Amino acid sequence: MKYVRHVLDHLGKDLRLEWRSRDSINGMLFFALLVVVVFGLAFDPTSYPTTARQISGGILWVALLFASITALNQSWAREMRNQVLEAQRMAPSPASALFLGKAIANMLFVLVVEAVLAPIFIVFFNLHALGNLWLMALILPLGTWALVVNGTFFAALGLRARNRELLLPLLLLPISLPALLAMVQATTGVLTADLDSIQIATWIKQLAGYDIIFTTVCILLFETVLNAE
Amino acid sequence: MEQRNPTLRIIAWLWFAISIAVLIVGFREAIFLTPPDAAQGDVGRIFYYHVPSAMWSLAFPYVNFIASLFYLYWRKRDPLKALTADAMAIAAAEVSVVYSSICLITGSIWGRAAWGIWWTWDERLTSELLLFLLYVSYLMLRRFSSTGQTQTLAAVISIFAAIDVPIVWMSIRWWRTQHPAPVFFGGPGTGVDKSMMPAFVWNIIGWGIWGIFILVFRFALERRRQRAEQEAALHAIEASLEISK
Amino acid sequence: MTWQSFFNLSTMQNRHLLASYAVVVIIQGGYASWIAWNWFHAKGTRH
Repeated sequence: MKYVRHVLDHLGKDLRLEWRSRDSINGMLFFALLVVVVFGLAFDPTSYPTTARQISGGILWVALLFASITALNQSWAREMRNQVLEAQRMAPSPASALFLGKAIANMLFVLVVEAVLAPIFIVFFNLHALGNLWLMALILPLGTWALVVNGTFFAALGLRARNRELLLPLLLLPISLPALLAMVQATTGVLTADLDSIQIATWIKQLAGYDIIFTTVCILLFETVLNAE
Repeated sequence: MEQRNPTLRIIAWLWFAISIAVLIVGFREAIFLTPPDAAQGDVGRIFYYHVPSAMWSLAFPYVNFIASLFYLYWRKRDPLKALTADAMAIAAAEVSVVYSSICLITGSIWGRAAWGIWWTWDERLTSELLLFLLYVSYLMLRRFSSTGQTQTLAAVISIFAAIDVPIVWMSIRWWRTQHPAPVFFGGPGTGVDKSMMPAFVWNIIGWGIWGIFILVFRFALERRRQRAEQEAALHAIEASLEISK
Repeated sequence: MTWQSFFNLSTMQNRHLLASYAVVVIIQGGYASWIAWNWFHAKGTRH
């Protein structure tokens, strides 16, 4: 399975590079923490526990969205220095393997941030879920992948753009809105137990469908983007 | 090109004149001839401008999508044809933004007057807003990306947008049937009374003809710019050859 | 309706009707004018 081999090589390279400097993950962690604090101040969740539970799904995902954007923006920065990108284009591995490796690496970084963020979030928002919290183990990865896969792709799109950092959210947010809707509705459904399991299951299925469709599209189109000139 | 120009010009002016004429007839029908709506009164006349814009705003994105596909297909095989496809793609994206913004704004004004609210997050409005946002982001990408890559990247975004639109529609439709909105904006074709038909038909045809007019006009403008760029590039090459002689 | 009642600004409904028709004309007309302006200001090509 040479393709899987290539993906794992790219993944290993990104993880190793990140491990040596750790600036991306530190930045993301701190940024996510700050966002949670800002939202906490803005909405004063401890005084309004019912409201807090209803909006916390949305707040969690908005915080993660902003945190991922900061990381995604410079996930391709490594490829820009020392003309690494040209070398990548000439390498025999398919372009989509580079994309997948990077997307999985970004996914792992965001998952680490989520793992740290979730307890902090619960503390600051005084949350206790009324529904089945184990469903979050399904919703979090599916939702994160939806943001990361498109985010990695659009970050690559903006590589040589003038206003690179601005372009990523401008492209990512509209495209991600259906996925955001699904993840927020599912999370709120779990936290507030307002939705029954069939409805939550439907949202999760929609999220999974979105993931499959856009992963396929990104893999198919990455070659075009890499060789856009 | 010199010989074709006069004929094309005549056709263009004729088309423009026809679209204005049909729109004037449509205006007359909508404002003066159709009786006022039983429930809403005269405010209901906004329907005749809002609904055609909404319908056409769903058609032009597909022109953009198909043009982008042609662009990607011809990119390596026939660059000149690819350039033409790209010009059509950008024209269609701009026209889509124009029509969907008209749909959103007139809908909002109508909603406030007839039902008391400027906006609601029901399925139709949210999907239309998404459509608007997607094509604005397409135009932003074209503005921000570095030249040379712009066309290819834009074509890729267009594919994402075209795939996203039905997904948005389905996801919001499911959402909204779970939490029905208290107020619904009048849907097209639901209980359109016979007395409303002439005004509606004149307007939808009129806005379609007008839409095609500005689409082709914008396309022609883009082709002009492309040709001017090519000429400038040619000049530069010729000038550098002369210097090196 | 008549021309007089169309331009009658006294009721909110009427103002909104007029406003929405105005918006349509402004946006479509504005876009078409922008294209036309650029058409005449685009660098002419030597045929």
